[in-house]
Amino acid sequence: MGMMGLALAWQTRIHPVAQRERRVEPFGKQAAAPDSVAETMRADDLALATACQSGDLHAYERLYTLHGARMKNLARNILGSSMDAEDAVQETFLKVQRSVGSFRGQSSFVTWTFRVLVNTCYDARRSRLRKKEVATDDEREDTAPRPEPRAASAHPTLRLALERALAKLTRHQRDVFLLYEVEGFRHGEISEMLEISEAASKNTLFQAKKNLRQMLEPPRHRDAAGAR
Amino acid sequence: MNINCDDRERILEDGTPAEWTGLEGHAASCTSCAEELRAWRSLSVTANELREYSESLTLWPRIRQSLAEHAADAERQRQHRNWRSFLPNLSLSWQAAVAAAFVLLLVLSASWLLRPTTKSPQQSTGLLKSKALADVENAESAYVEAIDKLATEAKPQLGSSETPLMANYREKLFVLDSAIDDLRAQAGQNPSNAHLRYELLAIYQEKQRTLEEIVEEKR
Repeated sequence: MGMMGLALAWQTRIHPVAQRERRVEPFGKQAAAPDSVAETMRADDLALATACQSGDLHAYERLYTLHGARMKNLARNILGSSMDAEDAVQETFLKVQRSVGSFRGQSSFVTWTFRVLVNTCYDARRSRLRKKEVATDDEREDTAPRPEPRAASAHPTLRLALERALAKLTRHQRDVFLLYEVEGFRHGEISEMLEISEAASKNTLFQAKKNLRQMLEPPRHRDAAGAR
Repeated sequence: MNINCDDRERILEDGTPAEWTGLEGHAASCTSCAEELRAWRSLSVTANELREYSESLTLWPRIRQSLAEHAADAERQRQHRNWRSFLPNLSLSWQAAVAAAFVLLLVLSASWLLRPTTKSPQQSTGLLKSKALADVENAESAYVEAIDKLATEAKPQLGSSETPLMANYREKLFVLDSAIDDLRAQAGQNPSNAHLRYELLAIYQEKQRTLEEIVEEKR
């Protein structure tokens, strides 16, 4: 894609350390946790939900300690701004407090919380868009987030390119990619968060990566393809 | 496992670990699949660049404060609802019955309080108001003055005659004057008592009639 102007020579530009840090099961199914571990996780999740239902602020603090950073990161990737992300996380906690009484345990409490977060982020985006439309009637606004400058990273160019490419995906493709590849959720969890089937989650991720691959493909490959 | 280029996309989307192993084996001898696999993996690695779990020192205190405020609001609303919490437990028909009984009670209470009162004139004038009292005292003074004039006119006849009739009149006037003195003393202590005033008036009238009879005897 010429617009990107970035010839990402895959593999060669990735630092070896980064490769080692990446998730073990990106291409296949995550290794199933032993039953006892899964049972313990479910029990912890249920205990956290019960404590939050009782109004215990320490339970919310624990929820924040365990998942606050990931929630803020996801919100920032959807909204493109740290300030908006913090507002969205705060709003999410308030919504969880208001409606935790209706949580019946059909899904895990954490995935339910992330579903609230994703919806809150898109509500915030819609609200922001409406304000912009009121401000500038004639100007057509892009619904995608405008990434703000972030802390220095190992590959700032790669990150910028990926952020711009992500902004061009559909909402579902972007959500599934962020939840799976960035935040490390499994398809089963993503399907609960986005209320889609696991198969749909896998297919959406595949389509997202295919589109990203095309957008980030080095121009020489496309030139060669065009020549063919 | 026998994997070829046609299987690549299906495995990339939803391949089993065994199929992935097979695809990697195939990619060792297929440049196109090897390039595709490298790109696919690199995309996942690049995604790590979007993971920035920075600590925010102010976010949790903000959230905690808003949670605490919301909890306090909810508690206030819950307490506000408590005093009427019995109503939702009643069925709609019972609530209607309770409301009807309440309205009936109100109507009965109002009609009892606003019923027309039938007080006797005596009850209604049991106590004299200050203006009425002044009028009564003025009239009484004038009346006493007139009776005194009448007594002055009857005095010669009453003092000079030693007839039994005049002796009876003197005796009667003495009794009436004593009664007048007693009643005036009581009225002095309780000037607003209309009953005392009526009794006093009756005795004055009797004294007036007695004096008129004496004067008539003189003629």
